[in-house]
Amino acid sequence: MTGTCVSVLISKAEAPESEARFSECIAENQRRVFQIAYSVLGNSADAEDVAQEAFLRAYQKFASLREAEKFRWWINRIVFRLALNRRRGHGRRLVRDSAWQMTETRAMVDGAKYAEQQVLLDRLRREIERLPEKLRSVLQLSLVEEMEAADVGAVLGVPAGTVRSRMHTARKLLLEVMK
Amino acid sequence: MKSECEKWNDQLLEAALTGSTAKDLEEHLKSCVKCSAELDEVRARQARLEELLPFVARGAEPAADFKARVLAAAEVASKGKRAQRWRLWTLAGATAAIVVLVIGAAMYRRTTQTISTISVTEVAAVQKLVEWRAPSDSLLVTPGQEILKGTPKLGQSYLKVPVKTEE
Repeated sequence: MTGTCVSVLISKAEAPESEARFSECIAENQRRVFQIAYSVLGNSADAEDVAQEAFLRAYQKFASLREAEKFRWWINRIVFRLALNRRRGHGRRLVRDSAWQMTETRAMVDGAKYAEQQVLLDRLRREIERLPEKLRSVLQLSLVEEMEAADVGAVLGVPAGTVRSRMHTARKLLLEVMK
Repeated sequence: MKSECEKWNDQLLEAALTGSTAKDLEEHLKSCVKCSAELDEVRARQARLEELLPFVARGAEPAADFKARVLAAAEVASKGKRAQRWRLWTLAGATAAIVVLVIGAAMYRRTTQTISTISVTEVAAVQKLVEWRAPSDSLLVTPGQEILKGTPKLGQSYLKVPVKTEE
């Protein structure tokens, strides 16, 4: 969390300021929150839906938040739980973004290489789904920008050392199966 | 030969992941072309994996208007909550007013009833009091009472005692 959000949160005296503070917090956390949902769900529509729901839940309790630094961990936990619940609820019906849907988000340098990459990415996602829950959760959260081992540990309730160890095991398993 | 090299699989993966090779593996690689080729292949796979993994989470971005939509939804939820709270308070106020009215009406009714009851009762009581006779009066009415009344008290003379005559 940057200084702006912290300072704005600290000066939470009047109720109308709450919305301004909340707006700042959305701006600072939306990218990471969206990525957490996306890493679990694999498609933009569901990820946005879940990210929005997470922010709305946070908004309801926002006024009672005493420590500004906790907002980051708080919202991370909320969105991760919501994304897991959404995935469990949808099960096999969960649709992942296909190659053509992701084209808009990245510049396509080489068509053939890009297509090959998409095939590999789909396969990688399937292999990640097959990983044991503990390893999969650590991997999905660790791949999100700005998520350090301590942040991942805070979401999952495990020490940072455990996160690093599980991450290593997850990478090793993926390396073995992605032949 | 195949089974002999299989035991190095785990170390090959570790070597690719950590970038460092154990001494015994290093010795083995000097004499085993197959494992050397395998290590190169695992390292290439590792590089591909590292390239792909970030896209699992970072393959898409939130829409440009995401923040605006969240704020709009928050405002709607907030208004709904305020309206719900207002409705709740209105309902609670109305209920309290009705309860107060009912209690007030009951108390007023009881008071008026008591006043009228008391007045009637009091009148009856006063009437009874007027007509009341001590029970001892009737008890004192004895055959010798009249004689006692006609008898002078100590220090009185018979002459002063008024004689009651029946007419």
